[in-house]
Amino acid sequence: MSDLIVGISDIKVSNNPADVIITYALGSCIAIIVYDPLVKVGGLLHYMLPESALDQNKAGVNPEMFADTGIPILFKTCYKLGAEKKRMIVKAAGGASILDDTNFFRIGQKNIMAMRKIFWKNNVLIDKEDTGLNYNRTVRLEISTGKVFVRSSGGEMKEL
Amino acid sequence: MKIVDRILKSINTIPAFPETGNKVAQLLRKPDYSVNEVANVIKYDPSITANILKMANSAYFGPRHKITNINDAVVYLGQQNLLRAIQTAGVSKYYKKGASGYFDRVTDLWEHSVAVALMSQIISRKITGQEDTTLYTAALLHDVGKIIMGEFVRDSLTKIAELVSSKNISFLEAEEIILGINHADLGGKIATYWKFPAEIRDAISFHHRPDLLEKEEKTMPWIVYIADQFCLMLGVGGGVDGLSYRAVSEVLPKFNLRMKDLEMSMVLLSDDLNHAKELISII
Repeated sequence: MSDLIVGISDIKVSNNPADVIITYALGSCIAIIVYDPLVKVGGLLHYMLPESALDQNKAGVNPEMFADTGIPILFKTCYKLGAEKKRMIVKAAGGASILDDTNFFRIGQKNIMAMRKIFWKNNVLIDKEDTGLNYNRTVRLEISTGKVFVRSSGGEMKEL
Repeated sequence: MKIVDRILKSINTIPAFPETGNKVAQLLRKPDYSVNEVANVIKYDPSITANILKMANSAYFGPRHKITNINDAVVYLGQQNLLRAIQTAGVSKYYKKGASGYFDRVTDLWEHSVAVALMSQIISRKITGQEDTTLYTAALLHDVGKIIMGEFVRDSLTKIAELVSSKNISFLEAEEIILGINHADLGGKIATYWKFPAEIRDAISFHHRPDLLEKEEKTMPWIVYIADQFCLMLGVGGGVDGLSYRAVSEVLPKFNLRMKDLEMSMVLLSDDLNHAKELISII
Protein backbone atom coordinates (compact mmCIF):
# COMPACT_ATOMS: atom_id res chain seq x y z
CA MET A 1 0.00 0.00 0.00
CA SER A 2 1.38 3.39 -0.83
CA ASP A 3 0.39 6.74 0.60
CA LEU A 4 0.01 9.60 -1.82
CA ILE A 5 0.46 12.83 0.13
CA VAL A 6 -1.36 15.92 -1.07
CA GLY A 7 0.34 19.20 -0.08
CA ILE A 8 -1.24 22.64 0.16
CA SER A 9 -2.44 23.76 -3.31
CA ASP A 10 -2.03 20.28 -4.70
CA ILE A 11 -4.02 17.42 -6.30
CA LYS A 12 -3.54 13.66 -6.37
CA VAL A 13 -5.67 11.28 -8.45
CA SER A 14 -5.37 7.49 -8.64
CA ASN A 15 -6.98 4.32 -9.94
CA ASN A 16 -4.57 2.01 -8.14
CA PRO A 17 -6.53 0.07 -5.48
CA ALA A 18 -3.38 -0.13 -3.34
CA ASP A 19 -3.22 3.66 -2.97
CA VAL A 20 -4.42 5.81 -0.10
CA ILE A 21 -4.56 9.54 -0.75
CA ILE A 22 -3.89 11.67 2.34
CA THR A 23 -3.78 15.35 3.14
CA TYR A 24 -2.60 16.62 6.52
CA ALA A 25 -3.38 19.76 8.44
CA LEU A 26 -6.32 21.38 6.76
CA GLY A 27 -7.00 24.64 8.57
CA SER A 28 -9.07 27.12 6.57
CA CYS A 29 -8.12 25.28 3.41
CA ILE A 30 -10.54 22.73 1.96
CA ALA A 31 -10.12 19.18 0.72
CA ILE A 32 -12.50 18.09 -2.04
CA ILE A 33 -12.64 14.33 -2.33
CA VAL A 34 -14.20 12.66 -5.40
CA TYR A 35 -14.69 8.97 -6.18
CA ASP A 36 -16.25 6.92 -8.94
CA PRO A 37 -17.17 3.54 -7.39
CA LEU A 38 -17.63 1.76 -10.74
CA VAL A 39 -14.13 2.32 -12.11
CA LYS A 40 -12.60 2.90 -8.65
CA VAL A 41 -11.02 6.22 -9.56
CA GLY A 42 -10.58 8.77 -6.82
CA GLY A 43 -8.92 12.12 -6.27
CA LEU A 44 -8.27 14.76 -3.65
CA LEU A 45 -7.73 18.50 -4.08
CA HIS A 46 -6.36 20.65 -1.24
CA TYR A 47 -7.05 24.28 -2.15
CA MET A 48 -6.07 27.34 -0.16
CA LEU A 49 -8.16 30.27 -1.38
CA PRO A 50 -11.54 30.81 -3.04
CA GLU A 51 -10.87 32.80 -6.21
CA SER A 52 -8.14 32.84 -8.82
CA ALA A 53 -8.97 36.49 -9.59
CA LEU A 54 -6.67 37.33 -6.64
CA ASP A 55 -3.57 36.48 -8.68
CA GLN A 56 -4.05 35.30 -12.27
CA ASN A 57 -0.35 34.61 -12.77
CA LYS A 58 -0.23 32.38 -9.75
CA ALA A 59 -3.40 30.61 -10.89
CA GLY A 60 -1.70 29.93 -14.23
CA VAL A 61 1.29 28.28 -12.58
CA ASN A 62 -0.52 26.63 -9.67
CA PRO A 63 -4.26 26.38 -10.42
CA GLU A 64 -4.70 23.94 -7.51
CA MET A 65 -4.31 26.90 -5.15
CA PHE A 66 -7.82 28.24 -5.83
CA ALA A 67 -11.27 26.66 -5.66
CA ASP A 68 -12.46 27.98 -9.02
CA THR A 69 -9.42 26.73 -10.96
CA GLY A 70 -8.62 23.64 -8.86
CA ILE A 71 -12.03 21.92 -8.75
CA PRO A 72 -12.38 21.64 -12.57
CA ILE A 73 -8.88 20.14 -12.79
CA LEU A 74 -9.76 17.56 -10.14
CA PHE A 75 -12.80 16.40 -12.12
CA LYS A 76 -11.04 16.46 -15.50
CA THR A 77 -8.09 14.44 -14.19
CA CYS A 78 -10.51 11.79 -12.91
CA TYR A 79 -12.36 11.74 -16.27
CA LYS A 80 -9.07 10.88 -17.98
CA LEU A 81 -8.92 7.72 -15.86
CA GLY A 82 -12.43 6.74 -16.87
CA ALA A 83 -14.51 8.35 -14.14
CA GLU A 84 -17.87 9.83 -15.10
CA LYS A 85 -19.47 12.87 -13.52
CA LYS A 86 -22.86 11.22 -12.96
CA ARG A 87 -21.34 8.44 -10.86
CA MET A 88 -18.92 10.55 -8.87
CA ILE A 89 -19.36 10.84 -5.11
CA VAL A 90 -18.25 14.23 -3.80
CA LYS A 91 -17.17 14.96 -0.23
CA ALA A 92 -15.56 17.97 1.40
CA ALA A 93 -13.67 18.70 4.61
CA GLY A 94 -11.92 21.72 6.14
CA GLY A 95 -12.75 25.42 6.01
CA ALA A 96 -12.14 25.97 9.73
CA SER A 97 -12.13 29.46 11.23
CA ILE A 98 -10.74 31.16 14.29
CA LEU A 99 -13.16 31.91 17.16
CA ASP A 100 -15.84 34.62 16.98
CA ASP A 101 -15.04 35.07 13.36
CA THR A 102 -16.89 38.18 12.23
CA ASN A 103 -16.07 40.16 9.11
CA PHE A 104 -12.41 39.51 8.83
CA PHE A 105 -10.10 36.52 8.68
CA ARG A 106 -13.04 34.85 6.95
CA ILE A 107 -11.04 32.65 4.66
CA GLY A 108 -12.55 29.41 5.99
CA GLN A 109 -16.09 30.66 5.37
CA LYS A 110 -15.18 32.10 1.96
CA ASN A 111 -13.63 28.78 0.96
CA ILE A 112 -16.84 26.94 1.91
CA MET A 113 -19.01 29.42 0.00
CA ALA A 114 -16.76 29.18 -3.08
CA MET A 115 -17.05 25.41 -3.28
CA ARG A 116 -20.84 25.45 -2.79
CA LYS A 117 -21.24 28.04 -5.54
CA ILE A 118 -19.14 26.05 -8.00
CA PHE A 119 -20.96 22.77 -7.30
CA TRP A 120 -24.36 24.44 -7.46
CA LYS A 121 -23.58 26.01 -10.83
CA ASN A 122 -22.41 22.65 -12.18
CA ASN A 123 -25.28 20.59 -10.78
CA VAL A 124 -23.05 18.60 -8.48
CA LEU A 125 -24.37 17.49 -5.11
CA ILE A 126 -22.04 17.31 -2.14
CA ASP A 127 -22.71 13.91 -0.58
CA LYS A 128 -21.01 14.46 2.75
CA GLU A 129 -19.13 17.32 4.33
CA ASP A 130 -17.30 18.09 7.53
CA THR A 131 -16.57 21.80 7.32
CA GLY A 132 -16.32 24.90 9.49
CA LEU A 133 -15.74 25.02 13.28
CA ASN A 134 -12.26 25.68 14.60
CA TYR A 135 -10.03 22.63 14.44
CA ASN A 136 -7.55 21.14 11.98
CA ARG A 137 -8.40 18.07 9.94
CA THR A 138 -6.50 15.25 8.27
CA VAL A 139 -8.28 13.43 5.42
CA ARG A 140 -7.70 9.95 3.92
CA LEU A 141 -9.26 8.43 0.81
CA GLU A 142 -8.91 4.68 0.18
CA ILE A 143 -8.95 4.01 -3.55
CA SER A 144 -9.95 0.34 -3.14
CA THR A 145 -13.18 1.15 -1.24
CA GLY A 146 -13.79 4.87 -1.77
CA LYS A 147 -14.05 5.27 1.98
CA VAL A 148 -13.10 8.70 3.33
CA PHE A 149 -11.82 9.22 6.84
CA VAL A 150 -11.43 12.52 8.67
CA ARG A 151 -9.42 13.07 11.82
CA SER A 152 -9.71 16.31 13.77
CA SER A 153 -6.69 17.62 15.68
CA GLY A 154 -6.18 15.46 18.75
CA GLY A 155 -9.27 13.38 17.91
CA GLU A 156 -9.95 10.02 16.33
CA MET A 157 -10.28 8.96 12.71
CA LYS A 158 -13.97 8.94 11.68
CA GLU A 159 -15.55 7.85 8.43
CA LEU A 160 -17.15 10.67 6.44
CA MET B 1 3.29 22.16 44.56
CA LYS B 2 0.64 23.92 42.45
CA ILE B 3 0.78 23.20 38.70
CA VAL B 4 1.64 26.80 37.85
CA ASP B 5 4.61 26.71 40.23
CA ARG B 6 5.86 23.51 38.66
CA ILE B 7 5.55 25.11 35.23
CA LEU B 8 7.43 28.25 36.32
CA LYS B 9 10.11 26.19 38.00
CA SER B 10 10.75 24.31 34.73
CA ILE B 11 12.00 27.55 33.12
CA ASN B 12 15.25 27.19 35.07
CA THR B 13 15.93 23.83 33.41
CA ILE B 14 16.20 25.45 29.95
CA PRO B 15 19.83 26.02 28.87
CA ALA B 16 20.95 29.63 28.40
CA PHE B 17 20.36 31.15 24.96
CA PRO B 18 23.49 31.20 22.75
CA GLU B 19 25.30 34.54 22.90
CA THR B 20 26.37 34.31 19.26
CA GLY B 21 23.48 36.37 17.88
CA ASN B 22 24.04 39.25 20.33
CA LYS B 23 27.79 39.23 19.86
CA VAL B 24 27.48 39.33 16.08
CA ALA B 25 24.85 42.07 16.26
CA GLN B 26 27.21 44.15 18.42
CA LEU B 27 30.10 43.63 16.01
CA LEU B 28 27.97 44.59 13.02
CA ARG B 29 27.12 47.90 14.71
CA LYS B 30 30.78 48.89 14.65
CA PRO B 31 31.57 50.89 11.50
CA ASP B 32 34.90 49.09 10.97
CA TYR B 33 34.07 45.45 11.65
CA SER B 34 35.89 42.81 9.61
CA VAL B 35 34.46 39.66 8.09
CA ASN B 36 37.09 37.66 9.94
CA GLU B 37 36.01 39.00 13.34
CA VAL B 38 32.38 38.08 12.61
CA ALA B 39 33.31 34.64 11.29
CA ASN B 40 35.41 33.92 14.37
CA VAL B 41 32.51 34.65 16.72
CA ILE B 42 30.29 32.29 14.73
CA LYS B 43 32.89 29.51 14.48
CA TYR B 44 33.01 29.43 18.26
CA ASP B 45 29.61 27.68 18.15
CA PRO B 46 29.94 24.53 15.99
CA SER B 47 26.22 23.70 15.79
CA ILE B 48 25.38 27.23 14.65
CA THR B 49 28.25 27.11 12.14
CA ALA B 50 26.98 23.91 10.53
CA ASN B 51 23.42 25.22 10.35
CA ILE B 52 24.44 28.56 8.87
CA LEU B 53 26.26 26.85 6.02
CA LYS B 54 23.18 24.73 5.37
CA MET B 55 20.90 27.77 5.43
CA ALA B 56 23.20 29.95 3.34
CA ASN B 57 22.90 27.32 0.62
CA SER B 58 19.10 27.16 0.80
CA ALA B 59 16.89 28.40 -2.01
CA TYR B 60 15.41 30.98 0.39
CA PHE B 61 18.70 32.87 0.50
CA GLY B 62 19.39 31.77 -3.07
CA PRO B 63 23.17 31.60 -3.62
CA ARG B 64 24.44 31.15 -7.18
CA HIS B 65 27.34 28.94 -6.18
CA LYS B 66 27.86 26.65 -3.23
CA ILE B 67 29.02 28.37 -0.03
CA THR B 68 31.49 26.18 1.82
CA ASN B 69 32.95 28.34 4.59
CA ILE B 70 31.70 30.81 7.18
CA ASN B 71 33.66 33.77 5.80
CA ASP B 72 31.90 33.38 2.45
CA ALA B 73 28.55 32.94 4.21
CA VAL B 74 29.07 36.21 6.14
CA VAL B 75 29.86 38.10 2.95
CA TYR B 76 27.15 36.47 0.88
CA LEU B 77 24.27 36.64 3.35
CA GLY B 78 24.76 40.28 4.33
CA GLN B 79 23.96 41.74 7.75
CA GLN B 80 20.22 41.14 7.99
CA ASN B 81 20.17 37.63 6.61
CA LEU B 82 23.21 36.66 8.64
CA LEU B 83 21.53 37.69 11.89
CA ARG B 84 18.38 35.85 10.87
CA ALA B 85 20.32 32.71 10.02
CA ILE B 86 22.16 32.85 13.38
CA GLN B 87 18.92 33.28 15.32
CA THR B 88 17.21 30.48 13.38
CA ALA B 89 20.15 28.16 14.06
CA GLY B 90 20.25 29.19 17.73
CA VAL B 91 16.53 28.75 18.37
CA SER B 92 16.28 25.42 16.54
CA LYS B 93 18.01 23.41 19.26
CA TYR B 94 15.28 24.19 21.80
CA TYR B 95 12.64 22.90 19.40
CA LYS B 96 14.27 19.54 18.69
CA LYS B 97 12.04 17.71 21.13
CA GLY B 98 8.95 19.50 19.84
CA ALA B 99 6.04 20.07 22.17
CA SER B 100 4.20 16.79 22.54
CA GLY B 101 0.87 17.46 24.16
CA TYR B 102 0.17 20.09 21.49
CA PHE B 103 1.43 18.32 18.38
CA ASP B 104 1.39 14.89 16.73
CA ARG B 105 4.82 15.22 15.16
CA VAL B 106 8.08 16.39 16.74
CA THR B 107 8.79 18.76 13.85
CA ASP B 108 5.37 20.49 13.86
CA LEU B 109 6.28 23.26 16.32
CA TRP B 110 9.47 24.10 14.44
CA GLU B 111 7.72 24.15 11.07
CA HIS B 112 5.05 26.42 12.47
CA SER B 113 7.64 28.73 14.06
CA VAL B 114 9.68 29.11 10.87
CA ALA B 115 6.49 29.73 8.88
CA VAL B 116 5.37 32.47 11.30
CA ALA B 117 8.84 34.06 11.13
CA LEU B 118 8.73 34.11 7.31
CA MET B 119 5.15 35.41 7.33
CA SER B 120 6.11 38.19 9.79
CA GLN B 121 8.54 39.54 7.17
CA ILE B 122 5.90 39.39 4.41
CA ILE B 123 3.44 41.35 6.59
CA SER B 124 6.17 43.77 7.71
CA ARG B 125 7.05 44.54 4.08
CA LYS B 126 3.37 45.17 3.39
CA ILE B 127 2.82 47.44 6.42
CA THR B 128 6.16 49.25 6.86
CA GLY B 129 7.86 48.67 3.51
CA GLN B 130 10.79 46.82 5.08
CA GLU B 131 11.88 43.64 6.82
CA ASP B 132 12.85 43.59 10.49
CA THR B 133 15.33 41.20 12.11
CA THR B 134 14.08 41.74 15.68
CA LEU B 135 10.54 40.98 14.54
CA TYR B 136 11.85 37.84 12.83
CA THR B 137 13.36 36.63 16.13
CA ALA B 138 10.19 37.43 18.07
CA ALA B 139 8.07 35.56 15.52
CA LEU B 140 10.41 32.57 15.57
CA LEU B 141 10.07 32.44 19.37
CA HIS B 142 6.37 33.30 19.73
CA ASP B 143 5.36 29.77 20.82
CA VAL B 144 8.48 29.02 22.90
CA GLY B 145 6.22 28.61 25.96
CA LYS B 146 4.84 25.44 24.38
CA ILE B 147 8.15 23.59 24.82
CA ILE B 148 7.46 23.62 28.56
CA MET B 149 3.66 23.72 28.54
CA GLY B 150 3.38 20.64 26.30
CA GLU B 151 3.56 17.98 28.99
CA PHE B 152 1.21 19.90 31.31
CA VAL B 153 -1.29 20.43 28.50
CA ARG B 154 -1.15 16.71 27.70
CA ASP B 155 -1.97 15.77 31.30
CA SER B 156 -4.95 18.16 31.42
CA LEU B 157 -6.07 17.98 27.80
CA THR B 158 -9.51 16.53 28.56
CA LYS B 159 -10.34 19.37 30.94
CA ILE B 160 -8.96 22.03 28.59
CA ALA B 161 -10.75 20.60 25.55
CA GLU B 162 -14.03 20.43 27.49
CA LEU B 163 -13.84 24.13 28.37
CA VAL B 164 -12.96 25.08 24.81
CA SER B 165 -15.78 23.10 23.22
CA SER B 166 -18.53 23.87 25.71
CA LYS B 167 -18.15 27.49 26.68
CA ASN B 168 -16.78 29.60 23.84
CA ILE B 169 -13.49 29.86 25.68
CA SER B 170 -10.27 30.16 23.69
CA PHE B 171 -7.52 27.59 24.13
CA LEU B 172 -5.34 30.33 25.65
CA GLU B 173 -7.98 31.19 28.27
CA ALA B 174 -8.55 27.51 29.02
CA GLU B 175 -4.82 26.99 29.64
CA GLU B 176 -4.92 29.82 32.13
CA ILE B 177 -8.04 28.53 33.90
CA ILE B 178 -6.81 24.93 34.18
CA LEU B 179 -3.04 25.36 34.50
CA GLY B 180 -2.77 28.85 36.00
CA ILE B 181 -0.76 30.30 33.11
CA ASN B 182 -1.01 30.35 29.31
CA HIS B 183 1.71 29.48 26.79
CA ALA B 184 2.10 33.11 25.61
CA ASP B 185 2.77 34.50 29.12
CA LEU B 186 5.08 31.59 29.83
CA GLY B 187 6.96 32.30 26.59
CA GLY B 188 7.41 35.92 27.70
CA LYS B 189 8.93 34.69 30.95
CA ILE B 190 11.33 32.43 29.04
CA ALA B 191 12.35 35.45 26.90
CA THR B 192 13.07 37.41 30.10
CA TYR B 193 15.08 34.48 31.47
CA TRP B 194 17.08 34.51 28.22
CA LYS B 195 17.57 38.31 28.61
CA PHE B 196 15.86 39.22 25.36
CA PRO B 197 14.81 42.89 25.00
CA ALA B 198 11.36 43.97 26.23
CA GLU B 199 9.91 44.35 22.73
CA ILE B 200 10.60 40.68 21.93
CA ARG B 201 9.22 39.66 25.33
CA ASP B 202 6.02 41.66 24.77
CA ALA B 203 5.56 40.33 21.24
CA ILE B 204 5.70 36.79 22.64
CA SER B 205 3.49 37.44 25.69
CA PHE B 206 0.80 39.23 23.67
CA HIS B 207 0.91 37.25 20.42
CA HIS B 208 -2.69 36.10 20.82
CA ARG B 209 -4.03 39.33 22.36
CA PRO B 210 -2.05 42.31 21.08
CA ASP B 211 -5.08 44.46 22.00
CA LEU B 212 -4.35 43.89 25.70
CA LEU B 213 -0.87 45.42 25.53
CA GLU B 214 -1.01 48.97 26.81
CA LYS B 215 1.87 50.20 24.68
CA GLU B 216 -0.47 50.55 21.74
CA GLU B 217 2.06 52.13 19.39
CA LYS B 218 4.08 48.91 19.29
CA THR B 219 3.45 47.09 16.03
CA MET B 220 5.53 43.97 16.70
CA PRO B 221 2.95 42.00 18.75
CA TRP B 222 0.29 42.80 16.13
CA ILE B 223 2.40 41.57 13.23
CA VAL B 224 3.29 38.38 15.10
CA TYR B 225 -0.41 37.96 15.84
CA ILE B 226 -1.43 38.27 12.17
CA ALA B 227 1.42 36.02 11.00
CA ASP B 228 0.49 33.36 13.58
CA GLN B 229 -3.23 33.41 12.78
CA PHE B 230 -2.56 33.02 9.08
CA CYS B 231 -0.18 30.12 9.56
CA LEU B 232 -2.83 28.46 11.76
CA MET B 233 -5.41 29.02 9.03
CA LEU B 234 -3.04 27.61 6.45
CA GLY B 235 -2.67 24.57 8.70
CA VAL B 236 1.13 24.88 9.00
CA GLY B 237 2.01 23.07 12.21
CA GLY B 238 -1.49 23.13 13.66
CA GLY B 239 -1.91 21.26 16.95
CA VAL B 240 -4.59 20.24 19.46
CA ASP B 241 -5.38 23.91 19.99
CA GLY B 242 -6.38 24.14 16.32
CA LEU B 243 -7.83 27.54 15.49
CA SER B 244 -9.42 28.01 18.91
CA TYR B 245 -8.13 31.53 19.41
CA ARG B 246 -9.88 34.87 19.51
CA ALA B 247 -10.12 37.06 16.47
CA VAL B 248 -8.97 40.59 17.36
CA SER B 249 -11.07 42.71 15.07
CA GLU B 250 -9.07 45.97 15.34
CA VAL B 251 -6.19 44.50 13.40
CA LEU B 252 -7.32 45.18 9.82
CA PRO B 253 -8.32 48.86 10.20
CA LYS B 254 -5.31 49.50 12.46
CA PHE B 255 -2.91 48.76 9.60
CA ASN B 256 -5.26 49.68 6.81
CA LEU B 257 -5.21 46.12 5.52
CA ARG B 258 -7.80 44.64 3.22
CA MET B 259 -8.79 40.99 3.15
CA LYS B 260 -7.21 40.82 -0.28
CA ASP B 261 -3.82 41.89 1.12
CA LEU B 262 -3.95 39.04 3.60
CA GLU B 263 -4.96 36.48 0.97
CA MET B 264 -2.04 37.70 -1.13
CA SER B 265 0.27 37.25 1.88
CA MET B 266 -0.81 33.61 2.04
CA VAL B 267 0.15 33.16 -1.61
CA LEU B 268 3.57 34.71 -0.92
CA LEU B 269 4.04 32.57 2.17
CA SER B 270 3.42 29.35 0.29
CA ASP B 271 6.19 30.38 -2.14
CA ASP B 272 8.55 31.19 0.74
CA LEU B 273 7.80 27.86 2.41
CA ASN B 274 8.71 26.00 -0.77
CA HIS B 275 12.08 27.77 -0.74
CA ALA B 276 12.68 27.34 2.98
CA LYS B 277 12.90 23.57 3.24
CA GLU B 278 16.49 23.83 4.57
CA LEU B 279 15.42 26.16 7.35
CA ILE B 280 12.82 23.65 8.39
CA SER B 281 15.07 20.63 8.00
CA ILE B 282 17.84 21.86 10.32
CA ILE B 283 16.29 20.19 13.33
